[in-house]
Amino acid sequence: MLIECKRITKTYRSDNKLLKAVDGASFTADKGDFVVILGHSGSGKTTLLSLVGGLTRPDEGEVLIHNTSNWQQSDQALSVMRNKTIGFIFQFASLIPSLNVLENMALPLCFGHHQHDCTALAYKLLEEIGLADKAKAFPGQLSGGQQRRVAIARAFMNKPEIILADEPTGDLDEETENDILAMFRRYNEQGCTFLVVTHNNELGVSQNNPRTLRMRQGVLHA
Amino acid sequence: MSLAKQLNILDYALQGLWRRRLKTGGIVIIFSAVIFLAASFQFTIKALNNLVDQDLQATPEIIIQKMSAGRQESIPLDYIKKLKGIWGIRRVVPRIWGYYFDATTKANYTVIGLNYKKMPMGGLLDKALIKGSLLPGSGEALVGTGVKEALRLPAKGAMLSLFRPDYSLKALKVSGEFMPSTDILTTDTILMNLADSRDLFGIKPGLVTDLCVYVANPREVTTIARKIAARLPDTRVVPKSQIKETYREVFGWRGGFASICLLTAIAAFIIFAWDKASGMNPDEKREVAILKVIGWQTADILGLRFYEGFIVSFMSFLLGCSLAYAHVSFMGAGLFRPILTGWSVIHPEMVLRPGLEFSDIFLIFSLVVPPYMAATIVPAWRSAIIPPDAAVN
Ligand SMILES: Nc1ncnc2c1ncn2[C@@H]1O[C@H](COP(=O)(O)OP(=O)(O)OP(=O)(O)O)[C@@H](O)[C@H]1O
Ligand SMILES: [Mg+2]
Repeated sequence: MLIECKRITKTYRSDNKLLKAVDGASFTADKGDFVVILGHSGSGKTTLLSLVGGLTRPDEGEVLIHNTSNWQQSDQALSVMRNKTIGFIFQFASLIPSLNVLENMALPLCFGHHQHDCTALAYKLLEEIGLADKAKAFPGQLSGGQQRRVAIARAFMNKPEIILADEPTGDLDEETENDILAMFRRYNEQGCTFLVVTHNNELGVSQNNPRTLRMRQGVLHA
Repeated sequence: MSLAKQLNILDYALQGLWRRRLKTGGIVIIFSAVIFLAASFQFTIKALNNLVDQDLQATPEIIIQKMSAGRQESIPLDYIKKLKGIWGIRRVVPRIWGYYFDATTKANYTVIGLNYKKMPMGGLLDKALIKGSLLPGSGEALVGTGVKEALRLPAKGAMLSLFRPDYSLKALKVSGEFMPSTDILTTDTILMNLADSRDLFGIKPGLVTDLCVYVANPREVTTIARKIAARLPDTRVVPKSQIKETYREVFGWRGGFASICLLTAIAAFIIFAWDKASGMNPDEKREVAILKVIGWQTADILGLRFYEGFIVSFMSFLLGCSLAYAHVSFMGAGLFRPILTGWSVIHPEMVLRPGLEFSDIFLIFSLVVPPYMAATIVPAWRSAIIPPDAAVN
C-alpha cells in the first residue's frame, strides 16, 4: 500500500480550548489512485494533508508511506521522503518572493541535480501550465492565478509518486482549471497518486476513477 | 552529507546574501569597521614593539646604576675597574643620562652624554642620523626631531642654549639630527659628549649616571648581570630585556585598555546582530517552512545559517584586517597615534611597520568569526526548527 492512514488525530489548542482538527481519520490509497477530499471550511482538510505529507506530527495514530511510518524515521529520512516521494501544492501562495519563477521551480531539485537538467524540466512544466514566458519573473510580478500555477508546476518537479493538492484550482478561471485538471489526469494515468482537497463537488468528474472522501468536523467519511 | 548538497546549500546561502545585499552590506560594513579598529590596535602595538626592538639594537645589553636609599645616584667611574675579569663583558662605557626641563616649551628632554668613540657599536649611531649630520664634538649636540621642532631650531649649525643648575647658560652647536624613523626613542633626545653633559648637569668629575655594559654573547646577559650584581651590591643592574619590557608595558597597558573598549564594541555589535537575526520576519519564517516542505532538513537550514554567518563574518574579517594593515603601515596608524604614543610630551613621527604575523591574524580571526557564529547560533537554531507546516496555513 502506498499511503495508509491509521486513526490519525490532531488536536490544536487555542484560547485554552482543545480543537480536534482531524479526529481518528483512516483511509488508504494505492498507486494511481485519485482521491478527492470534500468538506466545509474548517473541517480539517488542510490538516489532514499535512499529516499525510509528514509536515505535521499526529497526536495519535500513524501515517505509513510505502509501509514506513512517517514519524518513526529520522528527520533526514523524512525530509528525503518529502523531497523524493511527495509534491505538495499549498492552499495559499507558497512561492519564495525573492526568487524568480525558475529558481522557485528548481528548489525541490536543489540537492544533487545538474543545473541544466533542472532548467530543462522546469521549462517543460511551465510549458504545460502555459507560463513558459514568465520563467524569469518574480512572484510579485505574477497574478494570483499565475502564482498558483507555478506552485502547481513546482510540485511536479521532483517527479513525485504522490501529489498532495490543497484547493489547487481555488482561484482559477474555468478554462485554466480545466487545463490543470487535464494535466492532473495525464500524470494520474502515468501512475501518480493524487490526494486533492476541494470545495468543488464537480472536480472528480474530470478524472478517470475518482474516489471521494468527505470531511466533517475532523471526521473522515467514505 | 554529500559534497554536492553542501555546495548547493552554500550556493543558496550566497544567493540569499546577495538578494539581501543591502542588509548584508550594512552588517559587513559595521562589523568590519569594528574589526578595523581592533586590528589596527593590534598591528600598531606590534609595530611599536618591532620599532623598539629595532631601535634598541645598538643600545647596551646591561645598564648599571648606583642606588642609595632606594634611589638612583651618580656612579663612580672606579666601578668599571671592579668589573675587570668578568668573562664575557666586551666593554663598559660610562654614560650620563638625564632629563632637562625646558620652562619655555614646558617639555622634558632626555639628555644623553656618551663617549661614543669608545662604544663598540658607535658606528651604528651614524645610521640613525639624517644625511649630513656629524657626531657631536666638544660643545656640539645631536637633537631628535621633537626637540628641533619644540625649540624651533632652524637647521644644522644652530645654537642651543641650556641652563646649568646654577642658571648659567651653556651653549651647544647642533651638529645633526636623528632620523624621524627612530623617533620613538630619540624624538626628545639631546645627545652630546660625556664632558659636555657633565658640565650641563654639574656632575662632579669621576662620576656618571650609569655604566653601559656591552656583552659579547647576548645569551650570557643574564649570567653576566648576576655576576655584576654580586660584585657591585650597591647597584641596580638592568638588562636590555627589562628595558624592552618597560616599553612593552607602556604600549601594552594603553593597548590593553583600548582593546577592552573595542571588545565591548564587538560584543555590542554581536548582540545587535543577534537581536536582528532573532526577530525573524514572517517572510523568512515562511521561506524556511517552504524549504522544509520541499525536502530540506533541520540540519540543512542550520547549515545554511552557518554558511551565511561564516561568509558575513569572514568577509568582515578580511575587509577589516586589510584596511587596518593599510591604516597602520601606510597612514602610520593616524587614528590613534595620540593614544599610543602620548606618553611623550612630543609626539613621535615614527614610521610603523607591522609585521604580518600569523599569530596576530589568528588572534583577530578567533575574536571575530567564532564569537559571531556563537552569537548567531541561537537565532539560527530557532530558524532551523521552524516546522514545515508553518507554510501550510
Ligand atoms: N496551527 C493551528 N493552530 C490552531 N488551530 C489550527 C491550526 N491549524 C488549523 N487549526 C484549526 O483546525 C481546524 C481545521 O483547519 P484546516 O486548516 O485543516 O481546515 P480546512 O478544512 O483546510 O479549511 P479551509 O477549507 O477553510 O481551508 C480549523 O478550525 C482551524 O482553526
Ligand atoms: Mg485548508
